[in-house]
Amino acid sequence: MDISDEDLIKKYLNGNQESLKQIIERYTPILYNFAVRFVGIDNTPDILQDVFIKVWKNIYKFDVSRAHFKTWVFTITRNTITDYLRKKKMVVFSSLDKGEEYFSDNIKDESILPDEAMSKLEDKEFLNKILLEIPEKYREVLILYYQEEMTFAQIGQILNKPMNTVKSYHYRAMLLLKKIALHQN
Amino acid sequence: MEQSIKKLFKQAVYHPESRLSGDIWRIVCEREKRASLISSWIYGTIGVVSFAIFIPVVNSLMVQFSQSGFYQYLSLAFSDLGSISMYWQEFMSSLAEAIPTTSLIFALLLLFIFLVSLKRAFVNFKSPLLSI
Repeated sequence: MDISDEDLIKKYLNGNQESLKQIIERYTPILYNFAVRFVGIDNTPDILQDVFIKVWKNIYKFDVSRAHFKTWVFTITRNTITDYLRKKKMVVFSSLDKGEEYFSDNIKDESILPDEAMSKLEDKEFLNKILLEIPEKYREVLILYYQEEMTFAQIGQILNKPMNTVKSYHYRAMLLLKKIALHQN
Repeated sequence: MEQSIKKLFKQAVYHPESRLSGDIWRIVCEREKRASLISSWIYGTIGVVSFAIFIPVVNSLMVQFSQSGFYQYLSLAFSDLGSISMYWQEFMSSLAEAIPTTSLIFALLLLFIFLVSLKRAFVNFKSPLLSI
């Protein structure tokens, strides 16, 4: 059975340096998949390097009782990406946060994507291309929810947004996904 | 439906080059090594400086001890035990007054800084990551 992140951190803080290596090995693919969608393939290794240096520097401050390690590390990644995009003067996540509305909590996914859109999205190249066309704040919700299987509450912690806002983002993202999928060949 | 969407998304995951995590680990090790060496130098310097100040402070302390009559009071304790036992309260207060408190505290503080710096410098120099 795999040792939990929290146990690895405890071991690292007790002097087992190999535990940090295990954490890096465990999280590199996950964070790579997230970061690559915002900064591109060429810049992702540098972003991840910065992320893990921040993790190493701040791991002593990580409080197991306050957050899951995965949430914490994704928050660091998101902040690092935001800083990078800000430096590059590209659109940042927070610049699109104006005029938020809440949708109902009970929106079902079943009503969002019709079979036609689903069959188009089976092409992974097509799906990745469409994701790039979706605004960052919606894209990150989709990635965290469907690929990282995080809850809306966890995503809210990472985005520093209320859970209802995250649900609203999710719903809008799905609408956009449907719209773009149905209108592109 | 949600499971189907998850399945679609899982198929579209980007994978990093296999050596990426190893490269990142190496960079973290290098940073740790550099940070440890810098800390060692800083603490080492603090240790050397505090020790350099400690020596004249101790010399001055010894002079103050002899000038204040502390040694004379102390030798009395071994030569005239009878009088001391009769007037032990007066003796103790005279002995205490003869201690150059400020210089003693300063010397002990420097000794403490020296020992802590030495320990920190040694610990940083022997950082486990240095050997990886």
